[in-house]
Amino acid sequence: MMNYMPEMTFNVDHGYLEGLLRGFKSGILRQNDYLNLVQCETLEDLKLHLQSTDYGNFLANEPSPLTVSVIDDKLKEKLVVEFQHLRNQCVEPLSTFLDYITYSYMIDNIILLITGILHQRPINELIPKCHPLGSFEQMEAIHIASTPAELYNAVLVDTPIAPYFLDCISEQDLDEMNIEIIRNTLYKAYLEDFHSFCRELGGATAEAMCEALAFEADRRAFIITINSFGTELTKEDRAKLYPRCGDLYPYGLQLLAKADDYDQVRQVADIYGHYKELFEGSGTGPGEKTLEDKFFEQEVNFMKNSFMQQFQFGVFYAYVKLKEQENRNIIWIAECVAQRHRAKIDSYIPIF
Amino acid sequence: MGALFRSEEMNLCQIFLQSEAAYACVSELGELGMVQFKDLNPDVNAFQRKFVSEIMRCEEMERKLRYIHRELKKDGMKIPDRDENPKAPAPKEMIDLEATFEKIESELKEVNTNAEALRRNYLELTELKEVLKKTQIFFAEHGRHGIVDDAQHALAHDEGGGGFVPVTSVQLGFVAGVIPREKVPAFERLLWFANRGNTFLKHDEIDQPLEDPVSGDAISKCVFLIFFQGEQLKARVRKICEGFKATLYPCPESASERVEMLNGVSTRLEDLNTVLHQTEDHRKRVLMSAQKEIRPWIIKVKKIKAIYHTLNMCNFDVSHNSLIAECWTPVSGLEEIQSALKHGTELSGSTVPSILHRMQTKEVPPTYFKTNKFTTVFQEIIDAYGIATYQEVNPAPYAIISFPFLFAVMFGDFGHGFIMFLAGLWMVITEKKLTSGKSDNEIMSMFVGGRYIITMMGLFSVYTGLIYNDCFSKSVNIFGSGWHPSYDFRTLQKETSWTMNPADHFDNTTGPYPFGVDPIWQSSMNKITFTNSLKMKMSVIFGVSQMLLGVLLSFVNHAYFRRPLNVFCEFIPQLVFLMCLFGYLVALVFYKWLFFTAECPQYAPQLLIQFINMFLLTYTPRVMPANFTGDLYACTSIEPTSINATSQTVFFEHQQPIQITLVILALLMVPTMLLVKPFVLRARHNARVKVSMLLKVVVLKIAQHCLSMIKCPP
Repeated sequence: MMNYMPEMTFNVDHGYLEGLLRGFKSGILRQNDYLNLVQCETLEDLKLHLQSTDYGNFLANEPSPLTVSVIDDKLKEKLVVEFQHLRNQCVEPLSTFLDYITYSYMIDNIILLITGILHQRPINELIPKCHPLGSFEQMEAIHIASTPAELYNAVLVDTPIAPYFLDCISEQDLDEMNIEIIRNTLYKAYLEDFHSFCRELGGATAEAMCEALAFEADRRAFIITINSFGTELTKEDRAKLYPRCGDLYPYGLQLLAKADDYDQVRQVADIYGHYKELFEGSGTGPGEKTLEDKFFEQEVNFMKNSFMQQFQFGVFYAYVKLKEQENRNIIWIAECVAQRHRAKIDSYIPIF
Repeated sequence: MGALFRSEEMNLCQIFLQSEAAYACVSELGELGMVQFKDLNPDVNAFQRKFVSEIMRCEEMERKLRYIHRELKKDGMKIPDRDENPKAPAPKEMIDLEATFEKIESELKEVNTNAEALRRNYLELTELKEVLKKTQIFFAEHGRHGIVDDAQHALAHDEGGGGFVPVTSVQLGFVAGVIPREKVPAFERLLWFANRGNTFLKHDEIDQPLEDPVSGDAISKCVFLIFFQGEQLKARVRKICEGFKATLYPCPESASERVEMLNGVSTRLEDLNTVLHQTEDHRKRVLMSAQKEIRPWIIKVKKIKAIYHTLNMCNFDVSHNSLIAECWTPVSGLEEIQSALKHGTELSGSTVPSILHRMQTKEVPPTYFKTNKFTTVFQEIIDAYGIATYQEVNPAPYAIISFPFLFAVMFGDFGHGFIMFLAGLWMVITEKKLTSGKSDNEIMSMFVGGRYIITMMGLFSVYTGLIYNDCFSKSVNIFGSGWHPSYDFRTLQKETSWTMNPADHFDNTTGPYPFGVDPIWQSSMNKITFTNSLKMKMSVIFGVSQMLLGVLLSFVNHAYFRRPLNVFCEFIPQLVFLMCLFGYLVALVFYKWLFFTAECPQYAPQLLIQFINMFLLTYTPRVMPANFTGDLYACTSIEPTSINATSQTVFFEHQQPIQITLVILALLMVPTMLLVKPFVLRARHNARVKVSMLLKVVVLKIAQHCLSMIKCPP
């Protein structure tokens, strides 16, 4: 019975955390808050308004003048504290699930560090820029590696993302192109692994998460294709980077692999109703939203829907994603306020 | 009681505050604590209000105070609490305060940065000292050759894979440094992976924990030595060390140089120590000056901030240069408020008085109870269940007795109760001391907050404990038991337990035990059965009386608010329902106690079964034997089987018709409570809508008529 209906016993292990998370979720800023935030004249105003929301006194101990980077750090810190609390309280399989969420940050950190080292930046300058959710012990020693094989053998072999790296070892050296390839290969392996993990969990988690991850995979496939135009990346190599767990797999990915320009990508998207809308609504002109923003909006919608269903892990993933989007929004508004560049202040993506 | 029975009568007032006197007036009102301000600009953003810059200044001051407070705590300095309550300072004093805080903060920061630099220096030197000491030991143990040989042997073997490498040709270099202990395993593993096993690490723990220069926390660290071969590996090892935030120290190769260096380091450490002490003393002096004042400062800043928050709720009247506040005030406190306003105006030196003006409103006023230190706890308990609406009957005065009493009914032990009473009494007597020191102990402060209730509960427990005759779960024989076993010694020896029939063994001359339960029950085997039955019946009686009290109080409410509909559709049906079922049960309990004696134990009705049968409508009547005269239901010692009398048969005359009537009555009350009121309300609403609909229709007709008149050409 326990295997057939995981919902029955969900609350025994994870009920508390789900409740806690739903409480956190109700602290996400609403449209009203954003309307107030965009009216701010200075960052101090922003701080004052955030004080009346769930953020409370998170900036109270910062001496003025405030800077955007301080706000960014504090926002991240708040998310990390919440996440760590959840992680510390949880039991299997939720703990593995939460670890999976951190892997994507680890990948981002590794890429950031390699790119930084490639540009001769000292490691001490790079470390603070890494996302704290994805930090790991060996991270700071990453600069001893000069080839992917070394990177794997010396640094990453003990980390949980080592298996994802196996496909990249064959790359000869670390240059910009290869770093991009490594990033996308890692992400591909990660998404596919996470996808299969969620499918194994089954139940409502699989339903919600597979959908979300499929969307993420497809988004990456589209973005990779679009960004590859005009670079040295061959079509075969490109096709190897597509994550194969989305709705596009297999037919759409074959078509994408053959695409030569933006219009052809668009034609592929036309086959899939939900992607067609995104491409249709996007543009680069003034007043239009970029494709990236459209994807973000769609993601926010997905994540919001995830909260409609109970007894599943999708909400944890959704919360982190929504919170990340919220941080992006606040930082966007803060940047606009700080630089007195109010023309585009409204292009944040509202959540609730 | 009078004040607590209903909440205070409230009044909506408008206060016109002269802008120069507003601050002082609000400060006075705040000290009085009898006014609830209404937010008159709820739609205005926090950062768009009038006094936002003052509030920001307050927040900046609070931040500085928090910083100073943290520093004081870090040094373990006690903050004296003299129970002071300074008034909010005048607005112009704010600048002085700001300057003072600024000065202390910057001084502290300067001292801290100096101290941090010194401590970092100190830490580095200590680490270097440890490195030198440990390496000395390493090399001394093995001899310079010994350890290098070891390393060479390990490395050469590993690298050569069995091939012979001439030992002398390998030039080994080494670095020494210090690393946090928890990083050692990962460090070692990474060194191994990154250099393919071509390095040799030796590490040893530093005995005493070191101090982190920034936070002052203790950290455990390890000294390590890495041996490697060649420049390339050296660069790599250095990079790894950098990545793991290990600090490398220069370590001379020869022993004599090491000893020399060790001596130099030691003397420098001593010098540094004296400098560090001086900095510490300076820091202490800076903190001392803040120590005494910090609590009043915190209170002052909080008050200033609160005043500006309140002023932000007011409307600003530009033409009269005054602020208009709306607030709820208790009618009984109007005079005090007036005098507070006057005082505030005087303080500020304003010539125009602030005017308080009572307003008429249809809004429901807030509930306000004037409580004292005794009644507060009880009011809090009641509020936890729900706060009474304005002028509703407040159950708190009854709870003062009923709460401790019902607790005691459950607790019921005069030994334990007395201990509890003493604990409560101690808290009451020492309350000044206990309440003034804001203790961090959450549990203790909870007990102190409920000290009066604990005392009362203890007292009542002594009372119920005496009734139950329970002292530390034992009985006490105070008045002498009314039971005297008349078995002789030989009979008693045969068995361990004997039944005592009240007819034979109960001494009627002295009567029953004068107060509470007879102590003989302590030694009986059916003590639990007996006391359970007694306590269960008592609980039913108390429970029903409490419910009855609640229902009666609701009548007081309905009468006060003149709601006849509620009286007829809520109160009366509730009362009838309660009395027909549970009131009847209580009556049965008393009937059983009064009319069933030791003479007819078999007849005594089992009330639980009887009550269930009442709902099932099943009755077993007693049988009138042929030539039987006398009362069938009287408690006489006739053979029970002859009249079919058991504990479950009918036990008083007309029991069946009475009970059936009661059940039907009670059941009838359910739909009355459920349905009548909504339908009456609906009918009333419809009637009102009909009138308005009628009006609408008429207006429409007229409008149509008018329109057609206009349209038609004359």
